[in-house]
Amino acid sequence: MIYCDVKTCAGCRTCEVTCSSFHSGAVSPAMARIRVAKLEDSGLDMAVACLSCFEKPCLECPTEALSVGERGEILLDDKLCNACKTCVDACPIGAAGFYGDRPLFCGLCGGEISCVKTCPSGALSYRADHRDLSLHAFLPSKGNPSERRAQYVCVQGEPIRKSWKNGARVDS
Amino acid sequence: MSIYRGNCLRVDLTSHEIRRGDTPENGIGGRTWNSITLLRELKAGTDPLGPENILCISVGPLTGSELIATCRFIASAKSPLTGYLGDSGARGFFAPELRWAGHDQIIFTGTSDRWVYLWIDNDQVEIRDASHLLGLDITETTVKLRRELHDPDLQVAAIGPAGEHLVRYSIISCNLARAAGRTGMGAVMGSKKLKAIVVRGDKPVKPADPDRFTRACAQLKSNLEGHRDFEARRRYGTTRIMDSLARMGVLPAYHYRSAVFEDLEKVNAEALRRNHVVKAKSCYNCNLFCSRYNYTLYGEGEGPEYEAQAAFTVKCGNSDLELAVGVSNAVNRLGLDCISTGEVIAWLMECRHEGVISDADVDGIDLSWGSRAALLRLPKLIARREGIGDLLAEGTRRAAEKFGAEARKLTVEVKGLELFSADPRGIKGYALMNAVNSRGGDHFRGEPMIELTDDEELALRRVGYREAAHRLQDKGKGALVNYTEHLGILSDSITICKNISCCMDAVDFDLAAEAYSGLLGREIAPRALWEVCSHVSQAEREFNLREGLRPEEDTLPSRFLERPIPDGPSKGATIDIQRLVKDYYKEKGWNFGDRSHNLEIP
Repeated sequence: MIYCDVKTCAGCRTCEVTCSSFHSGAVSPAMARIRVAKLEDSGLDMAVACLSCFEKPCLECPTEALSVGERGEILLDDKLCNACKTCVDACPIGAAGFYGDRPLFCGLCGGEISCVKTCPSGALSYRADHRDLSLHAFLPSKGNPSERRAQYVCVQGEPIRKSWKNGARVDS
Repeated sequence: MSIYRGNCLRVDLTSHEIRRGDTPENGIGGRTWNSITLLRELKAGTDPLGPENILCISVGPLTGSELIATCRFIASAKSPLTGYLGDSGARGFFAPELRWAGHDQIIFTGTSDRWVYLWIDNDQVEIRDASHLLGLDITETTVKLRRELHDPDLQVAAIGPAGEHLVRYSIISCNLARAAGRTGMGAVMGSKKLKAIVVRGDKPVKPADPDRFTRACAQLKSNLEGHRDFEARRRYGTTRIMDSLARMGVLPAYHYRSAVFEDLEKVNAEALRRNHVVKAKSCYNCNLFCSRYNYTLYGEGEGPEYEAQAAFTVKCGNSDLELAVGVSNAVNRLGLDCISTGEVIAWLMECRHEGVISDADVDGIDLSWGSRAALLRLPKLIARREGIGDLLAEGTRRAAEKFGAEARKLTVEVKGLELFSADPRGIKGYALMNAVNSRGGDHFRGEPMIELTDDEELALRRVGYREAAHRLQDKGKGALVNYTEHLGILSDSITICKNISCCMDAVDFDLAAEAYSGLLGREIAPRALWEVCSHVSQAEREFNLREGLRPEEDTLPSRFLERPIPDGPSKGATIDIQRLVKDYYKEKGWNFGDRSHNLEIP
């Protein structure tokens, strides 16, 4: 899965640009499989993509269009998908996108991961060892995907905010 | 010639009617469309705060593309501060979203009978009630809109209390602290009773010739990453300028009374980073992320940039950086321009120091150098026009009329627009830029940064004079300012960050032509872009002449012409602004003293 260090992420959204461009040759964050939540009034930025979580609630697909790939990525069978958005609504951190008439999941670019490669701050990395990460605390899903991403980042950023309050600065 | 014609949304706030049309045919995006629109459609002598003023908000064909930092929108109208052309750009993330929503320019006319905001969700555009947002600052407005519309990713450009109260130097701001700061565009928005523009967009920006476009993007990335200041700019952003200006001897300490600030190391970039910066912040698709998030006893926020940092420290004689950062945050939230606000406060402090005014003239607020009370209270009074704030909200030129001739002599503005935090006497190109550019006293129209590099080869290549690489030389400065003015217009049309395109010299007309050609899929020559910029430069001049500009106003505040820099590394530096202006007019083909300049309205 793609891991984003909330402490390092500057919120530039280059990952969204790279992702949508890689998949469609055009720039539109709505087409990206990774989205950056920017909580501007608390200074937090963090990219959110599929974490290949332990629960995988998205797999409760009524047409069984979704499966899990070798690296834990979610695979979509285009022929089976009926665009019902059950998976999009199920993801507790808003990591499943939807554009046109198909859900979007990070497929790790089928090899070298473009957003990790272009991330200018170095906040993004690929971690093979994170497969069993639990998102239990965020279930059941509340709100719409962008609200869920924001909520997830708010929780992830809590320790950082606390460290700022205690005097931690960018170089410390 | 027509290079790109975008979609224009015309919003009449009097009738609440929304129409769709095209942008002007002879522009290349952003500022070029706005300036052409204003010259064509605005009647001369219009009240800047009346319903007849026109507020244009533009992005460009390259905004929101893969080209680095194509992140700005340009807001233009007749300025309530100067009475001439007003325009200002804001970075961040609002502009790309507007582009993805499929709108390239919005033209607001008329005045609403009640407070409203404009809602844009791709093709769906509505005028909505904003009465519940009245009085909220920019952060509160943005947070409330995102919450009630259930979308934390919405982009919002808003005005604060300052814009609502028609402060003549109020801002339009997006992403809480990304401001279209200069010339009072917030007041124009406020006069139309438009509190915010909210946008959501998901249409793709797709290059017609992907290979060519990708090459141009890669070239820009390489220019940027290969720049000798890349790492320093990444670490400190614009705040690093303070040490550079101190070394050159052009700091505006104690409101230009000294070029030396004894507590420099308490307020410079390193002090800021050590004590208050908690993380780096970036604008859209930029790999420099030169902005920062700060944490202080007075609250937190994004910034400050050099101008705010210097205005509230060095210029006001204040060594308390934490206070200055807190003031910068507050000024952003209130919706005031940091440069003009800092200049108003520093000017008052100098007036008090000279005995021209007393504390009693400003509601009993202590105006000694570095006064905490002044720095904390004045922005709040100004933003809501309370007490003395009502007069100070008019800007230094108008406020000085009240305080008398001696106070007038101490002001630092050109055409009514307050200057940046540097001493123009020791940087001739910047001095000339401040004197002649089309929005009044301002350095950011196009940064004549080459004069700070001592890089003669670069100066020769860009403007044809080796001497232009040296800040204290007069020779070549007309050509330098003319070139950077063109580059500024180009940048304001690509809508790229000027720190990258101008200050780091990472964009030139060849690269821009490749980017336009790649995006549009047809051949756009560098010369064609240059000609559009020349045309728009002339159009802006014509606009200002029509509003009554006299060429004698192309000058600097008299205090800089009468005395040399008193101390520090540039001690003794004087400026012959008339000589520089004549040189610039020669470059433009203008006749010095001839009001008409033989300009043609496009």
